[in-house]
Amino acid sequence: MKRNRVGAIMLRHAYEVRRNFDRITDMVYWPVLDIVVWGFFTVYLSNRAGAGGGIAGFLLGAAILWGMFYAFQRDMAVGFLDELWSRNLINLFSTPLAVSEYLCGLIVVNLFKVAAGALCAALVAWACYAFNIFPRLLDLVPFMIDLMLFGLALGVFTSGLIFRYATRIQGLAWSFAGLLLPVSCVFYPLSALPRPLRAVAWMLPTTHAFEGMRQVLAGGGFAAAHFWWALGLDALYFVLAAMFFRWMFESSRRLGLLVKLE
Amino acid sequence: MLLEVSHLTKRYGEFAAVDDVSFSIAAGEILGLLGPNGAGKTTTIHMLLGLIAPSAGEVRVFGRRFDDHREAILEQMNFSSPYVSFPLRLTVMENLEVFARLYNIAQPRRRIAEMLELFGIQHLARKPIAKLSSGENTRVGLCKAMLNNPRLLLLDEPTAYLDPEIAWQVKQVLLRAQRDMGTTILFTSHNMLEVERMCGRIVFMHRGRVIAAGSPIEITRAILKEERSEPALEEVFLRVVRLEEAGV
Repeated sequence: MKRNRVGAIMLRHAYEVRRNFDRITDMVYWPVLDIVVWGFFTVYLSNRAGAGGGIAGFLLGAAILWGMFYAFQRDMAVGFLDELWSRNLINLFSTPLAVSEYLCGLIVVNLFKVAAGALCAALVAWACYAFNIFPRLLDLVPFMIDLMLFGLALGVFTSGLIFRYATRIQGLAWSFAGLLLPVSCVFYPLSALPRPLRAVAWMLPTTHAFEGMRQVLAGGGFAAAHFWWALGLDALYFVLAAMFFRWMFESSRRLGLLVKLE
Repeated sequence: MLLEVSHLTKRYGEFAAVDDVSFSIAAGEILGLLGPNGAGKTTTIHMLLGLIAPSAGEVRVFGRRFDDHREAILEQMNFSSPYVSFPLRLTVMENLEVFARLYNIAQPRRRIAEMLELFGIQHLARKPIAKLSSGENTRVGLCKAMLNNPRLLLLDEPTAYLDPEIAWQVKQVLLRAQRDMGTTILFTSHNMLEVERMCGRIVFMHRGRVIAAGSPIEITRAILKEERSEPALEEVFLRVVRLEEAGV
C-alpha cells in the first residue's frame, strides 16, 4: 500500500466535501437535526412522565452514536457512487491505484467527516438539552470504534454490490443500515425485543455497542464483555464483507462491467 | 518489444468481443488500432489496462506479465479517452492534483501547469469539470495522460470532440512526445487520415479479430486486394463496413 495513493484518494474526497453542498449537508445537517428532534422528545418525556435524566441521556447518546454509524456506512458507499456518477472509475483504476488503497483513503476521510458531524451533534445536545457526553467520552470511544468497524463492513459490502449492480441498487447506501435499526437495540434495551429476535440482535455488533453505551451512561462503568463481543463480530463481518467485495469486484472485471458502470 | 499481446480473448457467453488477438509494439512506435464500431478496440485497450479480465491470452508490458506486475506497469503507463470523465464538481487543477499524487509526481503543481500550457488550457485550471465543453474535457484527459511522462500511452480516440485546429495541436504534442521522450503510443481513431499520418503500423480489427496488420499501405493493399501506391485507409474502412452490412 502506497501512502501517496491513499493520500490522493483522501484529497479527492476532501475536495468533494469542499465543492459539493450535499456532502456538507450529509456531514452536519442530518446529525444535528436528529439531535434537535430527539432532544425535544426527551424534554417532552421528562416533563410528562417524570422520566429521569437517564432516559433522556440514553436517547440522545443513542442518537449521536447511531448517527455516526449510519453516516460512516453511508459515506463508504456514497464515496464509490461519487466515482460512478462522475464516470471516474476507469480513470482511477487505470492508474496503479489498488482497491485496498482506495478503501483506505475513503475510510480516513469518512472518519474525519463522521467525527465532525458527531462533534456538532454532541455540542448541540450539550448546549440545548444539557446532555454532556464529553465526561464519559473515554468509556464510549471503544463502542464508537465498534460501530465504525461495523459501518465499515457494511459500507464495503454495499460498495461490492455497487461494483456489480451499479446505480440500480444505490438506494442501499441510504437504506441498508435502517434495516438493522429495529434489531440493533439503539433506543431500547435488548430485553425489550421479542425473544426470537434477541438471538438475531445478539449477532449484531450494534446491539452490543448500544448496550455498552447504556451501561456507561447509567454510570455502570465500561462494559468490557459487550465491547469484545462487538469487536469479534466486527472482525467476522469485515472478513466476510471484504471477501464479498473481492468477489464482486473480480466478477465485475470478468463480466466487463467495471468499464460500463453507470 | 515494449508491449506483447498474445492470443488475447474476451468472451461474453457465446459472443467473442475480442477473439485471439495478437500483436506487439516496439519501444517508441505509434501503433494504430483500427476497426469499425464493435470491432473490439476499446475492449482490447481495457484489457491492456487490467479493467477487464481476459478470458484467455496474455499481456506483457515492459517485458513483464501484466497480471503479476500490475502496479509497477501502470506507474509507467497512462490512458485517455474522451468517453470517461472526472469528478464534475472538482476543478481541472484539483482533478489533476489527485492524479499527480496517484502517480507520485514530484512538484505536481508545476508539472500540471506545464501540461495545461502544452494543451492550451491553462485558463481552465480553476474551472469545474462540469462547466467544460467536450473538447476541453478531452484535453484535460490528455493532460492527465501525460502527467507521469508515460513510457506507454493508450489513447482511445484522443481527437474526438476536438476541432481541426486543436486536433492538429494535440497530434503535434503526441508526435513530439514520441520523438523527444520515446513515448510508445497505441492509438485508436475513426479519422483515417490522422491514422495514416500518425501511425507507422496499424492493426485492423473486425468483429473481435485482427484481419490485417502492417503499414498503412500494406493494410490498404491487403484489404482492398489491389496494387496501390498510396495508403487509402478511408476506403479500407468503408470496404470493411460495407462487407459487414452485406453480412459477408
